[in-house]
Amino acid sequence: MWSVIKSVLAAFFGVQRDQQRREDFEHGKPVSFIIVGIAMAMLLVALVALIATLAAG
Amino acid sequence: MRTLLVRVAAGLTLALISPLVLANGWNMPIGVTALSREIHSLHMTIFWICVAIGVVVFGVMFYSLFRYRRSKGAEAANFHEHTGVEVLWTAVPLLILVAMAVPATATLKNMYDVSDAEIDVMVTGQQWRWRYEYLGEDIAFTSNMSTPREQISGEAEKTENYLLEVDEPLVLPVDTKVRLLLTADDVIHSWWVPELAVKQDAIPGFVNENWVRIEEPGIYRGQCTELCGMDHGFMPVVVEALEKDEYEAWLAERKEAAEQEAMGVDREWELAELMERGEQVYGSICASCHQADGSGSPPAFPALAGNTDMLDDVEWHIDTIINGVSGSAMPAFRSTLNPVEIAAVATYERNAWGNDAGDTVQPSEIVELLEE
Ligand SMILES: [Cu+2]
Repeated sequence: MWSVIKSVLAAFFGVQRDQQRREDFEHGKPVSFIIVGIAMAMLLVALVALIATLAAG
Repeated sequence: MRTLLVRVAAGLTLALISPLVLANGWNMPIGVTALSREIHSLHMTIFWICVAIGVVVFGVMFYSLFRYRRSKGAEAANFHEHTGVEVLWTAVPLLILVAMAVPATATLKNMYDVSDAEIDVMVTGQQWRWRYEYLGEDIAFTSNMSTPREQISGEAEKTENYLLEVDEPLVLPVDTKVRLLLTADDVIHSWWVPELAVKQDAIPGFVNENWVRIEEPGIYRGQCTELCGMDHGFMPVVVEALEKDEYEAWLAERKEAAEQEAMGVDREWELAELMERGEQVYGSICASCHQADGSGSPPAFPALAGNTDMLDDVEWHIDTIINGVSGSAMPAFRSTLNPVEIAAVATYERNAWGNDAGDTVQPSEIVELLEE
């Protein structure tokens, strides 16, 4: 689970280590990346909205 | 050799940049409001950040190209990835963008803060003129380009403010916060005055807000900056900033003129008076499409000289001016022109260029029609 989150974060940032990428492709299941990816995208939107609200308030 | 290269690079860079910074007219103007100065300094800050990035990036690139060239036996590195470097070149631009976004957002918030305005002016874009309405003052007028057509067609010498002059400018007092409410009647226009750092779209059905607080009296010129049709280039913006007492005097004068005009509605007008007034109105409003000699540009803009539909049916003629023709380029002038102007221009069109209807259209008739 932690390794999936780490890979999704790396994808958000745009940089991934080659070794981690290999492991993901050998052991990971696509569906877990999709679910975690969607959840974290929603989290990111909520976070940005929160920061914007705080800044505007 | 290396010092020579550095010198050449530095010289070239300066030669490229200095005209941008020094030459008037090439760079964004500093303007005459506190906000325009803020926007200018923001623009210069970001410009210099971009220059620094450009110098570093291209410097490294050209240095590498030169230093590690093949004729000196350089060999290509063959590694796949380097997480550290990749993180660095992602994080550095991110930090730079955030550093630029902080002052930019502060300025943007300031631009949108229209609270505490002392004067509200409604600015309406129309094909192809601006209309200004001083809310709460009962003053409204259209501002038409006053550059003669002969200058545009090249038959006369172009004067200094070619295409940037109007019959009636927007008059505003200095040191007063003025809120501008921008909208349009037909298509999207954009109201732009560089010295005031205002460039705002005027969109039909929407009201956009902006504000100015001019610090120096003077005349500031701009243009419509949203392609809006045939005469898009012929609807300039002119703002005249006056000292507060001069503005008050102007306001009083305008109000008196409006009252006189309102009184004129009830009386009977002579043919000659209506013709004189009508010629003015026709020249500033109608001539851009129907031509000064009434010949029009068929089929889009029918000729008015010798137009029997118009001459035989005065009711249809007046209705066309007041309500326009839907689905054509003919707009409704019911809110743009007052009853005296509509009566005068109708009379003029019926009796100019060889048209000989001989009848007059009285302002009182128009008032009745407008009330229906
Ligand atoms: Cu326009």
